Amino acid sequence: MKTPSFKTQAFVLRFINYGESDRIVTFFTSEFGKLRGIAKGARRSRKRFSNAIEPFSHSSLLFSRKRESGLALIENCDIINHYPAIRTDLRKTMAASYLIDLTDHFTIESKKSSGIFQLLDDFLALLERGNGPEETVRFFELRLLMLSGYEPTLEKCFICNRSLDEIPAAFFDAKRGGIRCSLCGRDNQGGIPVSTGTLKTLLMGKQIETNRIHRLVLSGNALRESREILRHFIHHILGKEPKSLQVLDEIGRIV
Amino acid sequence: MTTLDMLIKSLSRLPGVGAKSAARIAYHLIQSDGEFNRKLAVQIAELQDRVFNCSICGSYTETDPCPICTDSSRDTSLICVVEHPQDILTIESSGSYFGLFHVLGGAISPLDGIGPEQLAIGSLIRRIKDGHFSEVIAATNPTEEGDTTALYLARLLKETGIPVSRLASGLPIGGDLEYADRITLARSMRGRIRLGSF
Repeated sequence: MKTPSFKTQAFVLRFINYGESDRIVTFFTSEFGKLRGIAKGARRSRKRFSNAIEPFSHSSLLFSRKRESGLALIENCDIINHYPAIRTDLRKTMAASYLIDLTDHFTIESKKSSGIFQLLDDFLALLERGNGPEETVRFFELRLLMLSGYEPTLEKCFICNRSLDEIPAAFFDAKRGGIRCSLCGRDNQGGIPVSTGTLKTLLMGKQIETNRIHRLVLSGNALRESREILRHFIHHILGKEPKSLQVLDEIGRIV
Repeated sequence: MTTLDMLIKSLSRLPGVGAKSAARIAYHLIQSDGEFNRKLAVQIAELQDRVFNCSICGSYTETDPCPICTDSSRDTSLICVVEHPQDILTIESSGSYFGLFHVLGGAISPLDGIGPEQLAIGSLIRRIKDGHFSEVIAATNPTEEGDTTALYLARLLKETGIPVSRLASGLPIGGDLEYADRITLARSMRGRIRLGSF
């Protein structure tokens, strides 16, 4: 019996070279979730894979597989978007790598997630169009957490339920996944101080339509606070820091 | 395990050599003359004792500094930055470059957690600041990692005022436009040159 073939759109999350000319590629697909496959001759064949196997490339993928859990055979990969503006800008490239790394961490094999696929598509497009890399990353983190079921409670104190307009200051508690107001305990208790202004901007970034997100500009202080709380929360959820983040910090010191 | 089995197992660990190829090589060696086998064994054994990295450019060498770094006929105003020592041999074989080299030992790869500090970028910067270079050629691979590394070098060297150039990407000689992929074609179009300029 012939092995069935499937066609889908996909983003390249990562790959490793295998043998002399093959590559084992991890894709994030629109129809099949995360998928691992072997691209035979990918390092040599420009014809079947036409440079499409590069991190964060958006491609049209043709693959076959016998079982849902097995390694797929990549038959063809045609590029849809190579994001030339991202690839010629160091800060954008680093941001795109981080989005890809996070997507890899927050998705599991063979579990379809149209929402996360659309999110990645939208946010890479935002970067490509020139949106600020740091703001793009922060709003992506927030929306990814939301779509993955880890949405932090930022609109009210998780102890007294007071809204942001009713509290003077807040602390983010990664273990509880939300904010605690200063009225519910003056001392920090391991929480990260965050201003209500930053929280309000993040809440707007969570809800606003993607094509209007470029209108949201985070101040220097808001960028610093949101970076700290979201990174801390993601670290807490994953139990480790994504590898790309360390490189992002290293390179961020010069750009 | 027999000697032959052990040899096949060892050979199959080499890049591009599977179990079948390893067996073929092993049987070929049995039939070869003893002198050839002994020479080959000595050459392999001596590799790590005699070949090391040049303290200046990082290339593989048996003398320190390497013959390229000490060659007074080379153009010392040009430095070509490559990912791996074997890339030097490839560029040298083109016969079109006569400057100096610097080996990074890889490329920046955020997804693998490889950042600038894990590469020989610090020694490159020191070399450039101490030298009299008029151009730095980023000859890293035309991949996402290679491109990122080239962009990083350009950013890092911006304040020195020394221009950083990138190897051109484009159509292969003797190729057919019809079979060129979109990305290569787009890069070729962006990097087109005026006739008579070379």
